[in-house]
Amino acid sequence: MTEMNMVKALNNALDTMLDKDKSVILIGEDIAKDGGVFRVTDGLYAKYGDERVVSTPLSELGIVGMSIGMAMDGLRPIPEIQFLDFIYTAMDQIVSQMAKIRYRTNGDYILPMVLRTPYGGGVSGGPYHSQSSEAYFAHTAGLVVVTPSNPYDAKGLLISSIESNDPVMFLEPKRLYYSIKNDVPDNYYKVEIGKAKRILEGDDVTLITYGPMVPLVKSVVQKNNINADVIDLITLNPFDKDTVINSVKRTGRAVIVHEAPKMFGVGAEISATIAEKAIDYLQAPILRVTGMDIPVPFILEDYYVPNEKRIMNAINKVINY
Amino acid sequence: MIEEDISKDDIINAYRNVILERTLDKKLLGINRQGFLPFYIPNMGHEALHAAIGMALRDIDFFYPYYRDLGSDIARVGLDFVLAQMFSTEKDNELGRDMPLHISNKAKNVGPVITTVGGHLMAATGVAYSHKYQKKPGIVVATFGDGATSTPDFHVAMNFSAVYSLPILFICENNQWAISYPVEDQTKVEISKKAEAYGFTGIKIDGNNFVEAYHAIKNAILNVEKGSMPILIDAVTYRMGPHTTADDPNKYRKTIINEGDPLDPLTIIENDIKRMKILNDEEISNIKNEINDTVSKEVERYEKMNKPGKETLFKNIYENDPWYITEERGEIQ
Repeated sequence: MTEMNMVKALNNALDTMLDKDKSVILIGEDIAKDGGVFRVTDGLYAKYGDERVVSTPLSELGIVGMSIGMAMDGLRPIPEIQFLDFIYTAMDQIVSQMAKIRYRTNGDYILPMVLRTPYGGGVSGGPYHSQSSEAYFAHTAGLVVVTPSNPYDAKGLLISSIESNDPVMFLEPKRLYYSIKNDVPDNYYKVEIGKAKRILEGDDVTLITYGPMVPLVKSVVQKNNINADVIDLITLNPFDKDTVINSVKRTGRAVIVHEAPKMFGVGAEISATIAEKAIDYLQAPILRVTGMDIPVPFILEDYYVPNEKRIMNAINKVINY
Repeated sequence: MIEEDISKDDIINAYRNVILERTLDKKLLGINRQGFLPFYIPNMGHEALHAAIGMALRDIDFFYPYYRDLGSDIARVGLDFVLAQMFSTEKDNELGRDMPLHISNKAKNVGPVITTVGGHLMAATGVAYSHKYQKKPGIVVATFGDGATSTPDFHVAMNFSAVYSLPILFICENNQWAISYPVEDQTKVEISKKAEAYGFTGIKIDGNNFVEAYHAIKNAILNVEKGSMPILIDAVTYRMGPHTTADDPNKYRKTIINEGDPLDPLTIIENDIKRMKILNDEEISNIKNEINDTVSKEVERYEKMNKPGKETLFKNIYENDPWYITEERGEIQ
């Protein structure tokens, strides 16, 4: 066990898998000598060389497209997109190829690849370094979408993603890169894809969240002595329906918290699933506390992102309904 | 020997490929008009180039075709495989999931054809990276139309493949039309010249002349292998038919090469064969009759073949079905 932040844990996972499997290749902008702008690949170029830790010309389309070809040919590429905000020139590659090649060839070709990218706010990055676009990817059949909320899960989940034979969008909450540390095993271990974690247990209300909002939700619940189930989804698609539904059936109340905007987002899907499968158990409307439906603002970001007051308002509303 | 590396049998094989593609192409267009094939992408005009691609590629090479490569595909994976896919039959490797001519065959080193123009060029580049990394023999050959040269994918693939010195041959099947848009409006430089901007060789060839195209492609494959750098071939041909069965070219152009014209690639190779006395008129007529019979018989067979059933609908979306796929499977009516 070593105490690590998320960046170190991710670096450790990549190191573990590069060492274990020669088919693992990292590819992205500034990831080699520079170690990536967030330092996730620090030291790996020196250890594994430029054939396996590949810095690229400045083209997200190129990074994702090249990874698709590598994966088709039997490698396990791990492309890094420097910020999720820059991914859109690769959207055709992601949606038309990465997501569809397995289905379209009936499994003749599979794409075991993990697209890593930092997302969300927390670095005063304005509209082009702060986006939470997970819904686009979660809405696309064929993609697995995961997001860890702490260093331990980050390492185990990245290892699971690398070993998965499905293409995985691995979304890293950049606001948590350096802000929390916990004990991370030095060796290989996995955190299961498709399984949520109940990180706090309680009977009055279910809080469903993931990625960048998990530590905030946890601290709000603890600080205000709320008797709540707090669920960290970890996987967005396919999300762990059973853990969510079982909890809501017990508490009768659900609040969903995410940093992404509300309209047509992940919260809407969770909320609809609860309504479809557990409406008879509900004692209050399902509420969502989310980012605002505007681009992420540069100087007023704190008003965009969910905060303690907004989360408590929603909790109080459903508890006192 | 016709040329130092083309035997008499080679040119007869090429001629048979050209006749097969022309005959099948016309047959498929015809049955589309009769309503028995919902969609088709005509290939008329590309036959000599396809025969050259089909013959120049070796089994060790990875072929990443685009959607107008009927003859190249048949040479690579066989008529049965192509027709099983064409008619979306239960024998189709892809279970009828994509449109006619969108083949895929991993066992034979053929990448999955994608509809989005140029969308496969970076994947082809990735396969080339992987080949180099894994020290696999052979190179990657990717084909595309002239319209693809305007896509970002084309430029990024040209750049990445040069930056990493990858074993890849880009063949532009320049048929001079991207649906209604002519190549002289698509770009203001010769397509072959674009290679220079990325640091490698570009070659312009007559794609309607089998012998020239075969030589050029074969040599380019060897040079890519030797020189560890990509090459771009601009193979100039002509789309004699519509873009697809949904297109009417009379709206935007006057067709300048019609079937049987001196510039029709079939006429060119047939005249060569007669001039060089490789086949006489009777032998030519026998080949045409034989291929015509085969095409009629095989098309009828595949046309009548069963289609994949609705129980196949959810197969292979992920390695394991998510819970909602299991639910949706139960919702099929």
